[in-house]
This record gives sequence, C-alpha cells and structure tokens, in this order.
Amino acid sequence: MDELDLLKKNWTKGEEGFKSFSNTDIYTMLHKKSSSIVKTLFYISIAEFAFWILVNTLPYFLSETYREKLVTSYENPLFLGLSVLSIVVILVFIYLLFKAYKSISITDNAKKLMESIFRTRKVIKYYVIFNLVMIFISIPLSLYFEFQQNIEFHDQVAAMNSAQTLMMLAVTVVITGVLLLIFWLFYRLIYGILLRRLNKNYDELKKLEV
Amino acid sequence: MNKELEHSFVEQLQKHQNIVHKVCRLYTNNADAHNDLFQEITIQLWRAYPKFRGDAKFSTWMYRVGLNTAITLYRKSKRRIRTQEFDAVEFKIKAEEYDDTEEQQLKLLYQAVHQLNDIEKALVFLYLEDKDYREISATLGISEVNARVKMNRVKKKLRTILNP
Repeated sequence: MDELDLLKKNWTKGEEGFKSFSNTDIYTMLHKKSSSIVKTLFYISIAEFAFWILVNTLPYFLSETYREKLVTSYENPLFLGLSVLSIVVILVFIYLLFKAYKSISITDNAKKLMESIFRTRKVIKYYVIFNLVMIFISIPLSLYFEFQQNIEFHDQVAAMNSAQTLMMLAVTVVITGVLLLIFWLFYRLIYGILLRRLNKNYDELKKLEV
Repeated sequence: MNKELEHSFVEQLQKHQNIVHKVCRLYTNNADAHNDLFQEITIQLWRAYPKFRGDAKFSTWMYRVGLNTAITLYRKSKRRIRTQEFDAVEFKIKAEEYDDTEEQQLKLLYQAVHQLNDIEKALVFLYLEDKDYREISATLGISEVNARVKMNRVKKKLRTILNP
C-alpha cells in the first residue's frame, strides 16, 4: 500500500486529540491582532510615506534660513517643477498602494495571492527608488543653487583650482553614493527578512510550470 | 447585523474547527505555534467572511483561507525550535526501528511529512482531505497536470525520507 494511503486511512482518527475551542475562545481570537505579512507590509508602507514626507518638509519648519532659501528657489521653474512633481508622485503612489492592498484577497488561489503581495511590495519599492533618485538629483542641484545664490560660496568655488574643484565634486559623489547604498541595504534587509518564506514558496510554485 | 454575522461565523467555525487544527498540525510542531497559527487563520477567516457568499461550502472555503494563511501570510516562524525537536524525535524513532507496527509506521510518516516544504505539505494536506486534482490545482493556482506531477514527486520524496 502507498505510504500516503496509510496516512489517509488514519488521517481523521487523529482529530480526537485536538483541543476543541469553545465559541468564547473563538470570539476572543477574532478580536486579536493579526500578525500577517500583509499587515507588516502595510505598516512599513505607512512608515515609508511618513518618513519621506518628514524628510522633505521638516527642514522647512525647523530652519528659517532653509525656509528663506526655499522660497527664493521656488522662483526657479526647474525647482518648482520638481517640487510639484514630487507631490503628484506621492499622491499617485498612495493611490497605487491603496489599489494594490485592495487586490490582496485571501480567497484567491495561493499563487495569485502571493503575486498580489509582491505587487504591493513593488509599489513600495518604486516609491523608495523614486525618493532615492530625487536625493541623487537634488544634491548636485542644491549645490548649483548655492553656487548661483550664495555669493560667498560662489567666490570660494571661483577661487578654487581645478584639483580642488574636482576634489569637491568627488566628495559630493562619494557622500551621495554612500547614503544611497545605506538606504538600499536597509531595504534589502527589511524586505529580505519579511518575504523570505514567501519568496521560497512562490519559487516552488513557479518551478512547477517549467 | 454585525453581531449576527459574528455569531453565525463563530458557530460555523466552531463546528468545522478541525479543518483548521489539521492545517496547524501539518505546519507547526509545538502547541504554542499550533495555537498561534490557529488564531491567525481565525482572524483571516473572519476578515474574509463578509465576502463569503455561501455559493461554496463553508468548509471548502476554509481550506483555501487556512492554507493561504499557513503558506503565505503567516509570519512567526519557529524554525529553530522545529529542527531541535526533529532531531530528538528522529533519534528516538531510529532506536525503535524494528518495531514494525502500523502505529510506528504512522509516526514515521508524520515525521516525514513534516520534513516536506510548505507547498508539498499543502498538496499532501489536500490529498489526505480527499480533494481531487481539480480542487488541488484551483487552490494552489497550478495546472491539474502539474498538481499530479508534483504529487507523484512528493510521494517519491516521502519514500526516500522513509527509506534512505
């Protein structure tokens, strides 16, 4: 006889050993908090939005000089354009994320469920990438503005020889690079740990199709 | 209305709770983890319940939500504890290898099934629950042919685990 058939024959017998939860037990469970991946993903995305919105707005409220600078830089169409773009992008991402969450349904088949979780994760990922790109653009841009508007800085840079200018550029590039790398590693770690098992199971299902 | 819904849900789940227990038995290895997974499945079932239209049987619907929770949503992995327990149990079973009663065989089989990966366990579970390949394929989102192929591989794998 097939091994599994032996197990099948006895499968229901083991049920007698189960602890039977009463209605009250089940009521209590209903109101407990879920610890599912989707819930965690949801919290991470909220934190993500909060973090990037804070990063972008906090200096405005905290530093008067920054605020003044910002007001003058809005006169520049490029800077204004970028700011409007980032607000539009945030709104688009909130909408996409909302849609992605709505599409996660536990009653889908396993593969489809996993795919909709991955899709949600991707939306968050793209949002992070967008912010990193914005950092990447805004650092040289703000240097340029500083150069244009801050006479002291302008004179300093103008007085530099080419080796010094190169040095300054190199330092800027390295700092930006390190900053981006830290962010990137941080995200890899969070999502790596959170979705490790899901990835493994999804691969297992995918493998069947080949 | 909400109270009524809650009441009918609790009644039905109470009646069919063994399905959830069986999923937990397959995917966890100690009582704490078992109860933890049971609770998570209950929460997920309750969340999905307003959309349950009754066109499928409550129990059938439970299989899907239960398995999905176990293989996709559930986060608390107690891997370290699991392997330790395994070693201990396996050692004990080896010592009694010549006791060839059906009960012993069953015990070994359970151990072997526990060593399968999450997807393989899902297949075994549905098979043990007497589901046909159509339903297995619909639950996991793979084709019927692939479900059959995979099932055969799982059987082979079990045989290898049992007779190394």
